[in-house]
Amino acid sequence: MKELLQLLINGSVTGSILALAAVGISLVYGVLKLVNFAAGDYLTFGAYTAFVFNYTLKLPLFLSILVSMVAVSLLGIILDLAVWRQLRKNKAGQLAHFLTAIGIAFILRQAISFGFGADNKQYRIDLTKVYRFSGVYISYAQVIVLSCSIGGVILFALFLARTNLGKQMRAYSDNPTLASVSGVNVEKIVIIVWIINGLLGAMAGVFQGLTQASFTVDMGWQLQLSIFAAVVLGSIGSAYGALIGGFLLGVLMELSTWSGFHGGLAGGYKPIVAFFVLVFVLLFRPQGIFGHQSRSI
Amino acid sequence: MSQLFVLDFWIFVLVMAGIWAIFALGLQLQYGVAGLMNFGHVGMMALSSYSMAILVIKLHWNLWIAIVAGVAVAALGGAVLGLTTLRVRGDYFAIVTIAFSEIIRLIAYNQDGLTGGANGTIAINPAGDGFYAVPFDSFLNHVGNILHPILGSRVQNRDTRMVFVVWAVAIILMVGVARLEATPFARVLRSLREDDHVPAALGKDVFRFRLYALIIGSALAGIAGIFWAMQFTLVAPVDFESTTTFYAWIVMILGGATLVRGVPLGAIVFSFLFAGTRFFSFPPFSWFTDSQRSYLRLMIIGAILIYLMFRRPQGILGSREEMVLE
Repeated sequence: MKELLQLLINGSVTGSILALAAVGISLVYGVLKLVNFAAGDYLTFGAYTAFVFNYTLKLPLFLSILVSMVAVSLLGIILDLAVWRQLRKNKAGQLAHFLTAIGIAFILRQAISFGFGADNKQYRIDLTKVYRFSGVYISYAQVIVLSCSIGGVILFALFLARTNLGKQMRAYSDNPTLASVSGVNVEKIVIIVWIINGLLGAMAGVFQGLTQASFTVDMGWQLQLSIFAAVVLGSIGSAYGALIGGFLLGVLMELSTWSGFHGGLAGGYKPIVAFFVLVFVLLFRPQGIFGHQSRSI
Repeated sequence: MSQLFVLDFWIFVLVMAGIWAIFALGLQLQYGVAGLMNFGHVGMMALSSYSMAILVIKLHWNLWIAIVAGVAVAALGGAVLGLTTLRVRGDYFAIVTIAFSEIIRLIAYNQDGLTGGANGTIAINPAGDGFYAVPFDSFLNHVGNILHPILGSRVQNRDTRMVFVVWAVAIILMVGVARLEATPFARVLRSLREDDHVPAALGKDVFRFRLYALIIGSALAGIAGIFWAMQFTLVAPVDFESTTTFYAWIVMILGGATLVRGVPLGAIVFSFLFAGTRFFSFPPFSWFTDSQRSYLRLMIIGAILIYLMFRRPQGILGSREEMVLE
């Protein structure tokens, strides 16, 4: 029982990170119809930006996260202006988008390696600090991740539900043609989407770095397919779906190691659980758990 | 002076170009003809080289039979992949195939007892011999003896013997695929690349033709995997990361995705770019450390990919009309 509770806590942490990252990717797909294979490397970029401010410049972690959120938003906007907008104008096909994203991923990852080398990085926090509640452990890093994620998600949900921009964005993602004729400014929506992708993605990148204690440039790329799994699980293009899909997937990944379940899987198989979810959802329920059959995206 | 001027190095590059050519040839059939965006091509390479290594090291099979079995496993992998995923949409197919190849890699990484885990095939049999390439090396020696009258002492270099074997196989396979692509079978596939509905309306079984392309392409990846395994005498999970698939895409796009003869050209250009830039020892490259230069080289490769997508999606040889990538 204690083990199960522990796994649920770990799963909530993994799930929060996947949820944060999945929202941006899902919205980018919903609005731009872009499967961004460089998305994982945007997260890595966020993690390293925070590393510079937290480790090299010795700023508090919280402040470093805020800076990296701004940095990843800017990266998203700049790359959209420099690359994606151009491809949209050329009416380039799916493959051109995929391979361009992979080119961007190469450049981002190698540029980070170029600047920081291939060795492990760590944030300046006390990784040994652990709290104990009746036999269940939760680390200081996990507390930071959970509290910031919950805060971030609430703010984001309020933005989506209550603000005019949030409504416009959901409308556009749902039905671009209808939204456009209703006077939704498409270019503005695109910028907002990249900002959300940056704000939440940077958090996810830093949090992943925090929970795995040390990280390298491959971190984002390795996380990317699990995030895709979360996105399709929660219906591609849906922000709320991505939040729930990410959280469920994270919990599922951790629970797969539960010893009560035929002894549990070895820890190394956690990503495989996510990839199987990805394959099964795409094959048997491509509209995700919340989507409608009729909705074509 | 720089290693750029050492002949042995360029011969190594040529061996790798041959392996890339065979690997990308499978992709050329799948994408260039059948329009399948297979992003998990490297998974089939992993299936064949691991199957071969396990059969030889663990079960003491004859190497040549194990090679045939390895390629067959890759083809079977293509069949399984096709039967399960071919009905999903193009962008989903790309994601599913990446997931498929990553699942194979992670299983190889985690199943220490079967695959040797992170250390690769050398660790399959901790107690004894972890090598599988010995019969292949003696075959290479035979090739060397035949070539000796022409090349003299140069055949003492293993890569020199390897070049002839790899490229002989590559050329045979390319001729075979080129003939296949000149048949009515390929005309059906080509028409599929543009539009699913037209050939289906003409009574062509779209699914079956795509499945064949996937199986044949996977077998080609399997053959490339065998050569990869023979060239490096051990394989490890790190060889089969998705990056390897993307390199094959670059090879294919560079030469021109619609043409078989674009594949060897793309493979040679890519291999020289990939390995050669490592030894750029003149400014501005000489300002950086070795590892920085290797990062720079991959950045250049990424930039070339983006450039091709923007300016020349048809590659070096292809015609723009046939390759608008829409």
